[in-house]
Amino acid sequence: MSNPTPTPQTTQRGVAAGAIDARKDYGDGDSIVHALDGVTVNFERARFTAIMGPSGSGKSTLMHCLAGLDRLSAGRVFIGETYLDTLDDAELTTLRRDTIGFVFQAFNLIPTLTAGENITLPMDLAGRKPDQAWVDQVVRTVRLTDRLDHRPSELSGGQQQRVAVARALSGRPEIIFADEPTGNLDSRSGSEILEFMRAAVDELDQTIVMVTHDPTAAAWADRVVFLVDGRIVDEMVSPTAEAVLDYLKQLGT
Amino acid sequence: MLRVAFKDLMARKRRLVTTGIAIILGIAFLSGTQVLGGVLNDSIDSLVTDVYKGYDAVVRSPEVQESAFGEFRPPVDADVVDQVRTAEGIRAAYGIIEAPTVQLIGSDGKVISSGFGPPTLVFNWIDDPIRPGRLNAGRGPEADDEMAMDFATAEDNGFSIGDRVEVVGQKQTAEFTLVGLLGLGDEGNLTSGVKPLYFTDTVAQELAGSPGQYSYIAAAAVEGVSEEQLAESVSAVVPDQQVVTGDQWTEQNSEQIAQFVGILTTTVTVFGVIAVVVASFIIYNTFSIIVAQRTRETALLRAIGAHRRQVVLATLIEAALVGLVASVVGLIGGTLLATGIKALIGTAVSVQGRNCAAHPRHACHGVRSGPRGHLAVRGHPRHPRIAHTADRGHDRGGGGPYRPLDITQGMGAMLVVGGLVLIALGLTSTVDDELVFVGAGLFCILLSVAVVLGPLLAGPASRALTWPLTSRGNVTARLACENASRNPRRTAATAAALTVGVTLVVVIAVLAASIKSSVTEEIEGALGDVDLIVSAGQFSLLGVPPQVAETAGSIEGVREVSPVKFGFFRLLDDEGRRIAAENPDPDTDAEDAAGQVFGMGDDAPEGEDVVANGFEPANYFELVDLGEVVGNPEDSPGSAIAAQAEVAEERGWSVGDTIPAYFAATGEVDLTLVATFTNGLGPEDKYYLSNETVAANATPGFDIDFAVYIATDDNPGTRESVQAELEKLTEDRPDVVVQDRAEFIEAQTAIIDVFVAVVYGLLALAVIIALIGIANTLSLSVLERTREFGLLRAVGMSKRQLRWAVRAEAAVIAVFGTLLGMVIGIAFAIALATALTADDPGLLTLKLPVTQLVVITVLAALAGIVAAIPPARRAARMDVLQAISTE
Repeated sequence: MSNPTPTPQTTQRGVAAGAIDARKDYGDGDSIVHALDGVTVNFERARFTAIMGPSGSGKSTLMHCLAGLDRLSAGRVFIGETYLDTLDDAELTTLRRDTIGFVFQAFNLIPTLTAGENITLPMDLAGRKPDQAWVDQVVRTVRLTDRLDHRPSELSGGQQQRVAVARALSGRPEIIFADEPTGNLDSRSGSEILEFMRAAVDELDQTIVMVTHDPTAAAWADRVVFLVDGRIVDEMVSPTAEAVLDYLKQLGT
Repeated sequence: MLRVAFKDLMARKRRLVTTGIAIILGIAFLSGTQVLGGVLNDSIDSLVTDVYKGYDAVVRSPEVQESAFGEFRPPVDADVVDQVRTAEGIRAAYGIIEAPTVQLIGSDGKVISSGFGPPTLVFNWIDDPIRPGRLNAGRGPEADDEMAMDFATAEDNGFSIGDRVEVVGQKQTAEFTLVGLLGLGDEGNLTSGVKPLYFTDTVAQELAGSPGQYSYIAAAAVEGVSEEQLAESVSAVVPDQQVVTGDQWTEQNSEQIAQFVGILTTTVTVFGVIAVVVASFIIYNTFSIIVAQRTRETALLRAIGAHRRQVVLATLIEAALVGLVASVVGLIGGTLLATGIKALIGTAVSVQGRNCAAHPRHACHGVRSGPRGHLAVRGHPRHPRIAHTADRGHDRGGGGPYRPLDITQGMGAMLVVGGLVLIALGLTSTVDDELVFVGAGLFCILLSVAVVLGPLLAGPASRALTWPLTSRGNVTARLACENASRNPRRTAATAAALTVGVTLVVVIAVLAASIKSSVTEEIEGALGDVDLIVSAGQFSLLGVPPQVAETAGSIEGVREVSPVKFGFFRLLDDEGRRIAAENPDPDTDAEDAAGQVFGMGDDAPEGEDVVANGFEPANYFELVDLGEVVGNPEDSPGSAIAAQAEVAEERGWSVGDTIPAYFAATGEVDLTLVATFTNGLGPEDKYYLSNETVAANATPGFDIDFAVYIATDDNPGTRESVQAELEKLTEDRPDVVVQDRAEFIEAQTAIIDVFVAVVYGLLALAVIIALIGIANTLSLSVLERTREFGLLRAVGMSKRQLRWAVRAEAAVIAVFGTLLGMVIGIAFAIALATALTADDPGLLTLKLPVTQLVVITVLAALAGIVAAIPPARRAARMDVLQAISTE
């Protein structure tokens, strides 16, 4: 709250990913829309960062560009040491597979694969042997040990999202992007998921960036970045649900 | 609702195209066949009418001999012509030579073979409009070294007026100067496809093997006398001869060709029906998927107040529109196809001056079967789903759980019962076309197996097929496997189309291989001591030149020479008469129906018509292995008959008995049974006549050595040198071949390969449609799984991996369909072989062409992969971001 002008910042932890003057335009001429209008932001390693903003603020676009699912019109994004604009499509695919974890709002799992297979899917695609001890630890953390042989259709919504979180964690990615991971869940399942994500950051030293519009969800993060009309307007460290809600009210959304 | 149906249709053009193609191909094939059959029949009728249009009455010998080669009658003496000319109301009468006893030699020195096509015919030149064919260039032959011929034959072989043309007869080769060209039609500019050659009377008679005689006599009436009146008045002056009207003559002649065309059309139609059945699988499948995908839309329509009836109606209208459009396109395609084929076979049967227009009847047939079949398959998947749309609206297709096989199973059971009934009918011979019934029955069972068994097997089979890869943790293979088995019904229905085609291919492959190996074995065994076989072409009535039999013996290294003639006659023993009584000549039915018959066949005694090989008494039974021979083949050489032991026993004959027989040329003859043998050269090789007996009783033109068997000394190189000598001896007869055993067997079984190739060609259509089906199903499945593919790509599946997952799924489906087809096909082949050999277990030993079957499977997998190229590309091209945000 104290610092309304965001700047790239480094700490001892180092930066896992970031954007430098990121711009994304749709359309052209008079009907041009600036989805991202010069976003510069860093995401620290082993921290849980939430991106918040009203609908159309560009938060999903920012995440898609950071995750290599979409490309910027101008500016740069990087994961670790790698600038994504230097990669071609195949390299981006490999990057997503090996250094990024994903949790989407819905339809996170391949219906034909079991929970266990879904969890190790990125490594299987890479033809890599999973680190079994790590995977076991992840599975224990999200309490899925007795569900590994089930198909997604046999799991509850909350369990499905836990599988998704476990998948995102299983390959020890540089960074995990979560797009409204609790959006489709009841509040109990939702807080369970957030609890696991928190634990992943605190206990397993993972880096998570989460897009959400739910102040309660954002309160689980270490830091909240606010996006309005494609610009970062503010950020909040150690947020609480009330403080976030108040700020959003102040923004008039 | 009409507008909804139409909008739906227009919104899914691409899908309609792929679905339409299946219908179009099937209908095009069917209608093409129908149109072509119609055109051929019409052309044949009009051509035969044209050829014999000068004939008002025909006088021929009452003696008639039916054989596998057709109907044979002895010739008529020349003096009968003069008697005929005395008949009342007659304008002209001529003796006509019409005999298939020559071959033309092309400018390359090789025989211009007729092959399966219409034969080369000898005609005598008659300077009267009664003559078949009109001159269109030059003149008729006047001197004995002159000839005229069909203009198309001349054109095809580069002959022009003034050229010297070589002609091979049964006894001689001679050169003639081409002086005239003829054709059909008023201008003489149409061709019939047969190769008529015209010579002077004497030469024609010689070439036909009947000096001083004519094949028949044609008569023309004066104006005002009807054909019937003329036939009656002619009959009065030559009571010993048979007289038919020109119309009857024409009809009998076109009948034979029409029968052949009929068989051809039926066969091709059967394959067309197979193609349509396969196409219906595709359509069923496509619309099942489309309906599943459209549940939300349907639910919305129902929610805003559309009645169920209206929704169904919209679907039916949509189906009818697709079916109608595709059928019309198919019909047009079929007509074009027929036109193309017509052009190809234009040389065989002239259809000039005729449009290949679709006969209204055929058109109706094609269009009707289109939408009807389409509606049937389309209406079906819709009903149960529409009923459930309210609670299924939220369901996303693709991952749906396996559902009980309610309706499909019912259909399957019905098909099995229907199939069994058809087979039973066919096997008990209560119907005319046994094979059609058995075939249709097997086909029904095949469908039901594919429909019922397929879904049950699809899952386990997919897992088994991909196990080599999935067991090593290959996730691409794992996904392909799971996708192939996630909806077993869809996989099975897609694969079933291929199963049907492959089953038929395998049945043919297995039976052909079995027949081929049995025939090879049998010939190999029967050839005994024979080292070389000299024979004329398979379709030639020229035979081996007599000098081979006469002089081969003097070639260094030749041990034995055994010419083989063949004869046909009628057995008049008790059994023969009984058989004749039981089967009142079916071939004459058509003539009865045609009206008046002038004593057709009445003069010949009733009996069983048989074809027999000739044998050389001195050595045949020693050279050729016919099993145990009882009796002395050298007894009574002028009237000797030998019979297979079992046949002799059945007929109550023993060696030394006199067997009453009848020959078309010489009438009743008493034969003497001189020997019996235990094994014929084939199931039909039951009777032998001594060569001398054949020669004494042969219809002119049929006293030929169709083969000469030669045994050589065993010294190395002798066989080769003898073969070279024999080839030199027959140098001037390019149609005669000298083969060793291997070459002979190869030539004998070549026809099987040709047959197999033709059937494969016809089945290719069904297989192509099946592959289109795989491509179609996968395209739709890929659409359904957009979201899933998006996710896979997001978490790091490469485009390559995604393409392979789709292709592997196709390969799994294709191989599954193929293997199922293979198992069913082998089972059917065993069943058919067992049925065929029920009476004669030695006839056929089952042989599996393993290499061929493996190749078929590999090809199927490859074809599946190829079929999946477009959907795989589509899947890989998907925009990841759009895909994951797809609802």
